[in-house]
Amino acid sequence: MTNFTLDSSPSVVLELTLRLKIRDVMTTELILAEKKDSLRHIQQLMKHNRITGVPIVEGKRLVGMVSVDDIIQALDGGYIDDPCDHHMSRQLIVLEDDMPLSLGISFFEKYHFGRFPVLNKDNELVGIVTSRDILTSLLMEMNKEMEHLEEKLAPQKEVPPECWSREFTLHKFDFEHAGSASGTIKKEIKDKGLDPKNLRRIAVASYEMEMNLIVHSLGGTLKVEHTPERTILEATDVGPGIEDVDKAMTEGWSTANDWIRSLGFGAGMGLPNIKRVSDEFFIQSQVGKGTLVRSIIYHPPEKEVTHEHS
Amino acid sequence: MNILDIAVRLSWRLLSSTKIDVDIKVGYTSDLLSDVMGNAPAESVFITIQAHKNTVAVASLAGLSAILLCSNRQAPQDMIAAADQEGIPIYQTEENQFWASYHLGKLLNLH
Amino acid sequence: MNLSEVVAALGCQVLAGNSSLTQNVENVCACDLMSDVLVVEKDNLLLVTSLTTEQVVRTADIVGAHGILISNGKKPLEKTVQLAHQLNLPLLSTKLNTFEVCVELGKLLKK
Repeated sequence: MTNFTLDSSPSVVLELTLRLKIRDVMTTELILAEKKDSLRHIQQLMKHNRITGVPIVEGKRLVGMVSVDDIIQALDGGYIDDPCDHHMSRQLIVLEDDMPLSLGISFFEKYHFGRFPVLNKDNELVGIVTSRDILTSLLMEMNKEMEHLEEKLAPQKEVPPECWSREFTLHKFDFEHAGSASGTIKKEIKDKGLDPKNLRRIAVASYEMEMNLIVHSLGGTLKVEHTPERTILEATDVGPGIEDVDKAMTEGWSTANDWIRSLGFGAGMGLPNIKRVSDEFFIQSQVGKGTLVRSIIYHPPEKEVTHEHS
Repeated sequence: MNILDIAVRLSWRLLSSTKIDVDIKVGYTSDLLSDVMGNAPAESVFITIQAHKNTVAVASLAGLSAILLCSNRQAPQDMIAAADQEGIPIYQTEENQFWASYHLGKLLNLH
Repeated sequence: MNLSEVVAALGCQVLAGNSSLTQNVENVCACDLMSDVLVVEKDNLLLVTSLTTEQVVRTADIVGAHGILISNGKKPLEKTVQLAHQLNLPLLSTKLNTFEVCVELGKLLKK
């Protein structure tokens, strides 16, 4: 089995594996057997239904599993007519129906079984999932989710050399370019000769704004307007809007999903971070319309150096 | 070393209700749950700042004995409830992941 | 201590930023959540993580870190290495996991 790691997959696949739950990909039409059924009967079930594993149940409760390997061993050992009760696997690894798909994939990597039974919150058997089920679902979902990404940069206005402004267009989930806007901002402003502490504040604010736009919004723009007196950063998006702005401003509060967390974001520090590094902070949002976040960082004039004459 | 002793020596606060004495051999420091699933050793303390319910699920699946939340991160109610149900204690320290790991390693004589 | 001493002590591979290994390391941040790294305001910082995406380099650049150490034997993606080269930001990798790295680095810092 090749060493496949989820965290080096393209972001679309990653997002799907965290958005989809096991219940979205599992097979629910189950072919089952009971403890008293013979292994031969189970072999027939497998043959007619073209499956490689049969869960053994008592009512809705899962009590064991018989796989193709078990059948082969039974044929070899001459006990194919025995009730499956004596030969089924009882130590079972199961998945829960509301687990994210990514977690299920790690199970396949870790345990090397061909299939996993799926239980619901009441420990009832509700489905079975094979690696083929996962592949089929992912392919179907990927076909549904084709997004076209363009990068547009607004032309630079005529400004005096010590001033600088630029507008960046950012797209939802565009992780390939994530951070490049704030990287550019930092580089351009650094050359203007700023107090390193202020440069850092601008860098943090613009990075957090950029990541918020990419991770949480439907897309938008990041505008920067820099003069020697102050730097204004403004992030505007077209949606979805923040329901409770006060909550969003609380450290640790986040609406990020598991995928975003697995990429290292979504710890709920974004907006509070921006406010913390800003001299002036403004946020306005409407659900269904969008959000505006503005940060102003002032650059105090350089202190005059007095020379002492001896 | 017994986790109850470790907690006293390193000033860790217990956030959950499970006070069990498990033997700890090593720590595992990560904030990426998928990484922990694949690599963490059993009988270890899971050192992280990921303070939410999934952390407990992963700790349980990977067979980790305890969770240590760093930088004074608070555990939400549903995380504590999940931990109590799984029998996995959640501890809290004011140190960040780096210092918490170093001090645990030093205490367990791992250097 | 400086980055070349870290390289020597942990047996790291140097993937980028070879010319900047004389930079000092006084503080270590061992965190995989980039937004939490952004809160760190320490100087002479070394970022330790097992995340291999470009975001690690971008975050390190934004906070002015002196270097990045990728742990757990993870191989950074091609784009990540390129970006580190571009920014002349030292990018190191080691087979040790984050916990082990913290124990070793803590030892070095305490000397």
